[in-house]
Amino acid sequence: MRKRFASRPVLGLSLALCLSLPALAASPSPARLQQLANDPYWLAIGHYETGKLGGWRSYVDDDDFFLSPDGPHDPAAELSATLTALYRPVNLGDKHPQCVFPARTRWLRDQLQLNDLPQPACGEFTTWYRDIAPHSSVLIFPAAYLNSPSSMFGHTLLRIDQADIDQNGTALLSYALNFGAFIEGSDNSILYAWKGLMGGYPGLFALLPYREKLSEYSRLENRDLWEYRLNLTPEETGRMVEHVWELKQIQFDYYFFDENCSYRLLELLEIARPGLELTDDFPITAIPVDTVRAIKDAGLVERIDYRPSRERELLERAKPLSDNELQWVKTLAADTQPLQSAEFQALPAERRALVQDGAYRLLRYQANGQERDPAAAQRSYQLLRAINQNPPTTLDVERPKLPEDGHDSRTWQLGVGSRDDRAFAEYGLRMAYHDLNDNLAGFPLGAQIEILGLKLRQYENNHWQLQELDFATIRSLTPRSQLLQPLSWQVAGGFERVPGKDGDETLVAHLNGGAGASWQLTDSTLAFAMATGRVEHNSDFAPYLATAGGFNTGLLWHNALGTASVEGAGDYFLNGEVRRRLSLNQQWQLGQNLGLRLSALREFSHLTGPENEVMLQLKWYHY
Amino acid sequence: MKRILIGSLLALTSAAAFAEAPGGPSCGWGNMLFKGQSGFGSHFVASITNGTSGNATFGMTSGTNGCSTKGTLTYGGKPMLVLGSIMDELSEDMAKGEGEALTTYAVALGVKPEDRAHFAQVTHQHFSDIFTSASATDAEVHAATLAVMKQDARLAQYASEA
Repeated sequence: MRKRFASRPVLGLSLALCLSLPALAASPSPARLQQLANDPYWLAIGHYETGKLGGWRSYVDDDDFFLSPDGPHDPAAELSATLTALYRPVNLGDKHPQCVFPARTRWLRDQLQLNDLPQPACGEFTTWYRDIAPHSSVLIFPAAYLNSPSSMFGHTLLRIDQADIDQNGTALLSYALNFGAFIEGSDNSILYAWKGLMGGYPGLFALLPYREKLSEYSRLENRDLWEYRLNLTPEETGRMVEHVWELKQIQFDYYFFDENCSYRLLELLEIARPGLELTDDFPITAIPVDTVRAIKDAGLVERIDYRPSRERELLERAKPLSDNELQWVKTLAADTQPLQSAEFQALPAERRALVQDGAYRLLRYQANGQERDPAAAQRSYQLLRAINQNPPTTLDVERPKLPEDGHDSRTWQLGVGSRDDRAFAEYGLRMAYHDLNDNLAGFPLGAQIEILGLKLRQYENNHWQLQELDFATIRSLTPRSQLLQPLSWQVAGGFERVPGKDGDETLVAHLNGGAGASWQLTDSTLAFAMATGRVEHNSDFAPYLATAGGFNTGLLWHNALGTASVEGAGDYFLNGEVRRRLSLNQQWQLGQNLGLRLSALREFSHLTGPENEVMLQLKWYHY
Repeated sequence: MKRILIGSLLALTSAAAFAEAPGGPSCGWGNMLFKGQSGFGSHFVASITNGTSGNATFGMTSGTNGCSTKGTLTYGGKPMLVLGSIMDELSEDMAKGEGEALTTYAVALGVKPEDRAHFAQVTHQHFSDIFTSASATDAEVHAATLAVMKQDARLAQYASEA
């Protein structure tokens, strides 16, 4: 809101130029109209922001949303055009501006006591609104999903509940309100990436049954889901839904970092409860979990529910089972004939119940994303019948730590260290968001997502150098188990220093990736091993691009202090260079947003002798 | 693997990385135990490319969304629509005798709060009468549910309109 008031004088000017008063019984004064055009609520339902060169611009990128040709950049012109339009003849039916813009209509009618408005029926809107019957709102946060670029940071959407949904426990009947990029036709991936980057896709709101969203997240993508019941009153929820109707098929600009799903939802909440200020906190980025935190800090959250993913449920069900029982789970998922065998029947009934349920869950997990297979469906059905005869105890999955209680998304780093007896200081900033040594609480296990990291180093004698510019580092280490054999993988790209001739550190551009497996050794230790590939531009090398194959393996240990890791990696270049590194890290968690990390590194290269580096880093997670 | 890597690489540049398909990737999830809407292909495209094609949906279960309703309205309106999209969850819940999908089905059938536990118990007992095979359709399940309810003194009142 602060920003919006900043350019009032400009608004006043444009108002004077564009104002054309409607012929009303009792026309409101120009001063009153100007005051209304400046009202935060009017600016909010027009999605206006202060333009880069002053004045206003609307986030909406769609002529259908504006009644005045100047509407996209002139809230006052839009206001007077709306006021005129409300008096158009009722025979326009559902096309009547009152039916198209119910939120604007209500607000102007209340503000200006428009008691003489025509009364169009608005059948479409009324039916739609009655079908949704908004009563309360729930913010939905599906956790991060590494295997899809669309969901790497999580996502947020709203659920609109009818009056009795919560008390009946029938959220499956609710509607989900989702904002996302809208892709027409069949663009290929490259074009998609490019257009996404340039804001080439419009963003649209969609309203669809919550059960569909639920299936998508918890079944197909195996993401945990968090539901934050908001304390919006029925009136506030209704006001928001009324405005959502105005956004039907209306296109917004869509940008990656700021004007995304989470930002749009904050705007809607500001409309639901005038006076809320949520969007001001996100001028640069709106990472979903940060917006959840903002909504919670604003006192909007009444209750938090957790829905584990189907994968987590399967693993939880398998936890108490013995190796023999797990073998039975696999056997029965593959073939249900042995259900009646004497051998299986020899197990105690309650263990059989767990095994049958595990087998059913495993089978459904395997069927995930596949075309319907009649044989698998038949096996599932047989298992359901067995479960029906001998139901298992209710599965109770313990709720993990809340995602918003995890460390903040941006990280400032200050390090001091020594490399081959030369002391240095290192200054770093990482825009987002988490690495494997950072405090795990609130984050998915074995997931590293780093976007835009910069490290500058200052050696003795005030020698400064760019140490690292990381565009992205993503690692997904999901442990294999007797039941599931997921792939672990990583990918990274950017600029970094590597050992060069005569002990120099050479700045290279690189892109690398790897694939392999992870194993949970104990509750607190995870081992991983991957085969890797690397492409590098290095001025020490003859070819413009040098390629290497190699390995990357390590051990993660969550201990009382924080997380420790030991990692070994090797790159064997086609040109003969062999580069190996061994590193040790221990993070000491000082608080939710403060950590101390000790790192030791030893690097080997054919170009120079082994180099040692030790560094102590203070990490401050902020905003 | 290749796909995953490509997907991840995309994330490095994709400006729409927070986007989700507005219409939902499609109706249903294609891995159904019971025959229903399939749509994994389009989901895959949607989650990789972060969007979908076709009209963005805007509510109204009976009309504009991507789920095919295939004339099921003749079987009692809302219960059928709901049933068609939760067949998998419902079959599992009914086999176990509890769960959100089972509650939802009861509510959609108009069963009053005081009779829902009883509904869960009765349908659990008659699971194999209601889900008679792996190829049962939503219409058959609905009809069979009503038949079972008619045989029960407390539930018969909810099954009369069919």
